[in-house]
Amino acid sequence: MLRLYRGLLYLYPAAHRREFAQEMAFVFGQAERDAAARKFGPRLLFRIHEVAGLLCGAFLEHLRHAFDGSDCNLFRRIDMHPQFRFPRSTVFLMIFVLLGVVLAIDKADIMARNGVGLSLWGALWSMFLFLAFVCATVGVIWGVLYATGRSGMHRLANVQTWPERH
Amino acid sequence: MGLLPLSEPVLLVLLSLAEQPRHGYAILKDVAEMSGGRVVLSTGTLYGALQRLLRQGWIERFEEDESSRDRRAYRLTSKGRRNLQLEIDRMRHLTKLASLRAARKEA
Repeated sequence: MLRLYRGLLYLYPAAHRREFAQEMAFVFGQAERDAAARKFGPRLLFRIHEVAGLLCGAFLEHLRHAFDGSDCNLFRRIDMHPQFRFPRSTVFLMIFVLLGVVLAIDKADIMARNGVGLSLWGALWSMFLFLAFVCATVGVIWGVLYATGRSGMHRLANVQTWPERH
Repeated sequence: MGLLPLSEPVLLVLLSLAEQPRHGYAILKDVAEMSGGRVVLSTGTLYGALQRLLRQGWIERFEEDESSRDRRAYRLTSKGRRNLQLEIDRMRHLTKLASLRAARKEA
């Protein structure tokens, strides 16, 4: 896992990596040693938490670089409009994506330990299967939404773009 | 002052360093302990916060004699301590106000 963590650190901008990557990997190693004594569930949660934190941190660092190193509002508390609500499906989608990432990391970890290399055709085939699965899932979800009249098309059709005449 | 008002994780990191200088892993453990396990920082979140605090000059990094590059420690600067005190004063004022308002409502 530590090797994979080091790999994921390459998602950070080079400047941040030079300054913190070695230290972050060291701290992660210590935290992982502590987590190793726990049961499977908490250990999995620890890994998910770490991967999510790292991806989020890398994303924010790239944004900071994009904003020319200035502290834009993204790095402070964000006050959202109280009317704004994420659709409930966002939570499931995020959990689904995160589980996929963690499983892929675990699989790659096992393969790295066993010294198994992945062939080009194998990688392409896996990618194709994954894309086919994603397309099928999206198709099914859209079909259900369309059938129940809650698709984007239906919602757009109900949007009132001009004031009603009385 | 770009970090004020502080988010809870950043406030806990500063409180951890207010007591004594600490290494990254010691900060993680102390934050979890202070919050009773409610706030558990990932290394990505911790180093994002540390970098911002370093850039604002609220904390500084130093290397102890025997420590390697992996184990650099962090401590509060006078600016960081001053700003932490400002935040504590703000929160004290807020809780006092909240208590007063809540008591008035009950009466």
